[in-house]
Amino acid sequence: MTRFQEAICEKLLLSAAWTSGSIVVFIFAFMLFLGLPLLSGGHFFSLLTAHWAPQQGSYGILPMMAGSLFLALLGLLFSFPLSLGCACFISVLGPAKLRFLLRKVVELMTGIPTVIYGFVGLFLLVPLVRDIFGRGGLSLLSASLMLALLIAPTMILFFCDSFDRVPRSYLDAVDAMGGSKVQKLLYVMLPNSVHGIAAGITIALGRAVGDTLLALMLAGNAIHIPHSCLDSARTLTSHIGLVFSADFESLEFKAIFACGITLYLFTAVLVLVVRGINHRLRRPL
Amino acid sequence: MNRFFEIFFVIWSWLSALCLVGAVAAILGFLCVKGFPALNVELIFGNTEPLSALLLQKQVFDGLFPAIVGTLCLVVLSVLLAVPLGVAAGIYMAEYAVGYVKTCCDFLFDILAGIPSIVIGLFGFTLAVFLHKNFSDQVYPCFLISSISLAFLVLPYIVRSTQISLEEIDPAIRNTALALGASRLQNIIHVLLPRALGGICSGVILAIGRCAEDTAVIMLTGAVAIAGIPRSILGQYEALPFYIFYISSQYADQAELMRGYGASLILIMLCTLLFLVAFLVRKRIAYQAFYKA
Amino acid sequence: MFELIKIKTENLSFSYNGNRILDNVSLEFREKTITAIVGPSGIGKSTFLLTLNRLWETVPQSSMSGRVKIRFDGKMQDIYGNGMSLTGLRRKVGMVFQAPNPLPMSIFKNIAFPLKLAGIKDRRTIDENVERALQQAGLWMEVKDRLNDSGLHLSGGQQQRLCIARALVLQPEVLLLDEPTSSLDDASAAVIEELLVNLKDNCTLIVVSHYFDQVKRIADTVFQFPYNGISQQ
Repeated sequence: MTRFQEAICEKLLLSAAWTSGSIVVFIFAFMLFLGLPLLSGGHFFSLLTAHWAPQQGSYGILPMMAGSLFLALLGLLFSFPLSLGCACFISVLGPAKLRFLLRKVVELMTGIPTVIYGFVGLFLLVPLVRDIFGRGGLSLLSASLMLALLIAPTMILFFCDSFDRVPRSYLDAVDAMGGSKVQKLLYVMLPNSVHGIAAGITIALGRAVGDTLLALMLAGNAIHIPHSCLDSARTLTSHIGLVFSADFESLEFKAIFACGITLYLFTAVLVLVVRGINHRLRRPL
Repeated sequence: MNRFFEIFFVIWSWLSALCLVGAVAAILGFLCVKGFPALNVELIFGNTEPLSALLLQKQVFDGLFPAIVGTLCLVVLSVLLAVPLGVAAGIYMAEYAVGYVKTCCDFLFDILAGIPSIVIGLFGFTLAVFLHKNFSDQVYPCFLISSISLAFLVLPYIVRSTQISLEEIDPAIRNTALALGASRLQNIIHVLLPRALGGICSGVILAIGRCAEDTAVIMLTGAVAIAGIPRSILGQYEALPFYIFYISSQYADQAELMRGYGASLILIMLCTLLFLVAFLVRKRIAYQAFYKA
Repeated sequence: MFELIKIKTENLSFSYNGNRILDNVSLEFREKTITAIVGPSGIGKSTFLLTLNRLWETVPQSSMSGRVKIRFDGKMQDIYGNGMSLTGLRRKVGMVFQAPNPLPMSIFKNIAFPLKLAGIKDRRTIDENVERALQQAGLWMEVKDRLNDSGLHLSGGQQQRLCIARALVLQPEVLLLDEPTSSLDDASAAVIEELLVNLKDNCTLIVVSHYFDQVKRIADTVFQFPYNGISQQ
């Protein structure tokens, strides 16, 4: 193979990398360009703070942002303790066979399609919630419970990973002192995995905010700022899915680009946060 | 006090494990109980003869056949689009990229992996509108647009799994062929890629699974409830996950709902199978690509 | 006895991760002899070998200064000079590693692999060279009936001789060996020692070793690391 061919191939590979990377920039630029009519004249911030009232010409996405955040945080609230417990079970606390089994179950969960969670949620969980609370079948509560299940495997596998990275010598030291399994976990592994746990939560938050189907199918989609778990709510993602059918030229439609841009920027911020955490992780103590 | 906390924590951990397994069992059990009765030849082919449907002689109207074919075609085209680009980019990232190019691309791929699929769907839709207005009246949200969007969605998985499985190769193996006079490219082609193949394959299988299950992208880019077998890449099409989504909100009678359960069962078996294969191929690489940001 | 200098290093220094591993090493290696480099582990012996075929360049966070010259085609050439092809250099300067590292392919393909890399496609040339290399490495009689078996199924000593054969198939002028017998039992090591002495007729050998008795048996020249400017014959 000649040097010339080598150089050509390297250039080809480089252009593949740049093409893939530029898609990311391209997506953002495209949305910005199409959402421009709304953003021009400094309306962007008013978009973020105003309410949604198309009849009065107000296309604020505040209720959707509140819905997204409420839903994601509620999901995280349910999911985090569950995931931490499961991760500890898999890494240390469970009996060997059950640990292996639980891990397989978690890995299997990563393969279950989101639409299935939504479908089962709709026909199993929603009636249940309605029976128990008397109202609020299609509500933040139903959606966040399913969401908790959806993001649990992400967190569990991530936590297990960061437990595994705790240096062997620390664990041996505790074992040599006669520490029990749970002591080893609580006093050595958890404190040494704080960064990993933080990164896992951030990534799970990203998935929770980015999820469309559960919100769309289970949260009820009413446009208002939710006040309780049993309220119906609409998220940024489901708003995009719902307004989609409207007339493409209308301002109502253009507003979904504001949703898209907000989601995009939120993702970018989360990526930066995770990178910051990982950077600290790598820094020698 | 500490003793109490320790015991509490162990109990908590057991409860979480039970709770998670219980939830998964409930979901799968519910689907199986409801879905198995619906699972038969008629579910897939409706009233049409299976053989003539498979040979595309007759249209299937009230069966899942068009949706299954649609999903399969979608997966094939998306993966065909994403794999060459993704693998090439992954090779570049692992073997050539240094300095700011690497940092920059790393960051961009992290974002791409994190962008919600509905945003990518929105992008696909606006791309179609843009093409429609500026280039050709023939372009609507369609099969091709869906495939391109899905390819974008799974691109970071392929890039990452390629990159990680190349970077994981033992430095001793990396040097073997170089010491024998191999050029950088020869080393990649003859030694490193064959070694990394397992990891790359599992990344591709994960990408297939992701294409098969995604609903948010396709619902904005051309999937519809009734379209028959996809006949042209510029036409609309049916897909299994979209069908399930559609049924869940629009079912008219019990029979349709039963078909929804059947479709769910088929989809979950398909996706579980893909994931099992992926984890068999190479467990470790698979989830690093998926969960490492 | 007059012998040509084959390799010459001038003020060679090497750092890894900010730690200086080699400091101003200036050495000469005579053509068609065996030179041994001995010394405690972690002192830069292996790194020194890597500077002679530029293989250290794949190691991140490492840097080198100084010159390395090797006599090719009758004149001393700077191997870090502009005109030097990296792959060409590595074809003329073969290397055998501490642990045998056959690639996951058949015995025949392992040996033929460098020929393939060099773009040689003629079947007869390949067959001849593979047989010659295997004979030079003393492996021919043992494997000639199972050339299509995987190279990974050979014993440790056979694997190491396979790697030597692979390094020899391009008829290199210099052969670098990084503790080639340290992972082998005594009997296999003895076979390889004998083999190295026979190879002296064709190329210049540099062996890193920490077995002093081995060095005494086979080496013409011995350099002691950490290098302090003194060598023993």
